[in-house]
Amino acid sequence: MLRIDNLHVSVGGHEILKGLTLDVPAGEVHAIMGPNGSGKSTLSYAVAGRENYDVTAGAVSLSGENILGLNPNERAAKGLFLSFQHPMEIPGVATMNFIRTALNAQKKARGEAEVSAADFLKLIRAKAKIVGLTDEKLKRPFNVGFSGGEKKRMEMLQMAIFEPRFAIMDETDSGLDIDALKMVGEVVNSLRGQKGDKTARGFLVITHYQRLLDYLKPDRVHVLAGGRIAKSGGPELAVELEQSGYDKFIEAA
Amino acid sequence: MTRAAPIAFESALAARAQNLNAVRSMAFEAFKRQGFPHRRIEGWRWSDFHSALRDTAFGPAPIHEIAPPLAIDLAGLKPVELRIVNGRIDVPADAFPKGIQYGVVDAVGTIPDLENHSIAALNVAMAKKALGIEIAEGVEFAQPIVIRHINTGAGFSFAQSLMRLCDGARATIIETFEGEGAAFYSHLFHLVLKDGARLDRAVIHETDGNAVVHSICAAKVEGGAHFNQASLSTGARLARHETHVHFVAAGAKAAIASAALLSGERHSDFTSEVLHLGEGCETRQRHKGVARDRGRNIFQGKFRVMRGAQKTDARMNADALLLSDTAESNCKPELEIYADDVQCAHGSTSGALDAAAIFYMRQRGLSEEAARAMLIEAFVASVFDVIAHPGIAQAFHHRVAKWLESA
Repeated sequence: MLRIDNLHVSVGGHEILKGLTLDVPAGEVHAIMGPNGSGKSTLSYAVAGRENYDVTAGAVSLSGENILGLNPNERAAKGLFLSFQHPMEIPGVATMNFIRTALNAQKKARGEAEVSAADFLKLIRAKAKIVGLTDEKLKRPFNVGFSGGEKKRMEMLQMAIFEPRFAIMDETDSGLDIDALKMVGEVVNSLRGQKGDKTARGFLVITHYQRLLDYLKPDRVHVLAGGRIAKSGGPELAVELEQSGYDKFIEAA
Repeated sequence: MTRAAPIAFESALAARAQNLNAVRSMAFEAFKRQGFPHRRIEGWRWSDFHSALRDTAFGPAPIHEIAPPLAIDLAGLKPVELRIVNGRIDVPADAFPKGIQYGVVDAVGTIPDLENHSIAALNVAMAKKALGIEIAEGVEFAQPIVIRHINTGAGFSFAQSLMRLCDGARATIIETFEGEGAAFYSHLFHLVLKDGARLDRAVIHETDGNAVVHSICAAKVEGGAHFNQASLSTGARLARHETHVHFVAAGAKAAIASAALLSGERHSDFTSEVLHLGEGCETRQRHKGVARDRGRNIFQGKFRVMRGAQKTDARMNADALLLSDTAESNCKPELEIYADDVQCAHGSTSGALDAAAIFYMRQRGLSEEAARAMLIEAFVASVFDVIAHPGIAQAFHHRVAKWLESA
């Protein structure tokens, strides 16, 4: 599904990712943990195609298709979703209009039929209930005046509506209480599907804490340190990291 | 005050200024002493009419009988339409129901609050007739009144409008400044709102890129009256839109909102002064300027709060969005306060579109152009909330969308 091979990324002339290799198959959830400054957010931005995140070497493909030559909206239309660590407030932009316009832009790019205003209203109301956002919040300008937790719920709302083939979730757990973590688990598990199934989706979850992983049940856990994957293992690796910290990986990197 | 050398256009005006009555003749002398305002005169630094008109050779505008249909989508509104075509006032018979008097009247010969304003003096000298509208006491006129200022072909023209809303009257007007060709147009709007009256005024300026346009709205707002004005301008070679509000009694309110969308080499100047004389008046002013290419956005807003105007509550904000390195914006908010128990504030910002917001929106699937358009629209949209009439905001939004598509 998402295959990253020997990825090197520089930001402002500084090399942050130094040969990162990772493969997340369809239907799997992989977690990335690592110390601050190890390149976790750089990885998410580079895969999503943000300007000034220069890929100097390596390859990134989604379902076998090279995506590095595509611009951010083309990658989104291919089914790549990024749940932002710090979601934007966009004053003056009506939330429902923005999400519907974005959804229809993706559908149009894929040659699918657009969603009518009435159908969209039904869809967003149903998904908003799942993620715990009220109608009043949907009527506000996008994320304006939202708490940190509400902004993360808004990210999950969009993920539930767009149903991306692959999602990168960058510290979605920060600012969320226990009930909200459970909700994130529900949204991910409802989209995930069965391994080996053609419609199954993949997730790359960037986190510092075990508590979100209790709900997401990752298939693999990777440690990112010094711009590379320093260690990979099963779910037990996350438990081990929470007990012993990253020190030995920083030294190794 | 320095007088710049006379220009060719002024001799054409002098030829027109034969046989004026005493008042107009004095006004023309006042203009001749000063000439067109230039950049060395206070308040005209960024809008130099003298140099914009230096190489023009305008004669009187030709008489046009036929106006093209309104090019603005008013989204199903059914307005009463009045026209001023190349300075000539065209009013249909029986346009209004009882309670509204209107017609072509003599232009006013004095402008007490606009001394030392040479373009206003020139307008008084040159404009012989005015469009007059009076709305009787207590009459609430729900249909919007459209006043179209159309300037076609080359040439200069001058006109005035006089409007009075008697006690408790209410009305909505939509004014458009349109036309094609290099023209000079000066318009002076005298407005009086008597006690408790309310006027909503929406103005759309979309004149030719070669035109030079000057408009003044001078509003006298009496006790408890409301004046709401929203303007949208796409600029011209030089376009200056002035608003002068006088709160002469207590408890009056004004909301003055403006947006400028400027491309090419277009120039728009929103200059205003709100004079607070009565107690407890409230002013809300907001300007949003968007400039791309070599567009120039100018905003000069002044609040004056005189000694008797205690409990004044006045706020002003001017924000500019610059979409290219060659676009320009100059904003000058000013407060002049002589009363001690007032709340007054002003603020001004200037910047580019937020690259982080654009990336976020593109990650959700919007193209770069669509994301930029949505952000620009959001930037100016708040200006249009000022007018209560449903449909007018929509007309503004159509115009913004049209501008965004024309990039």
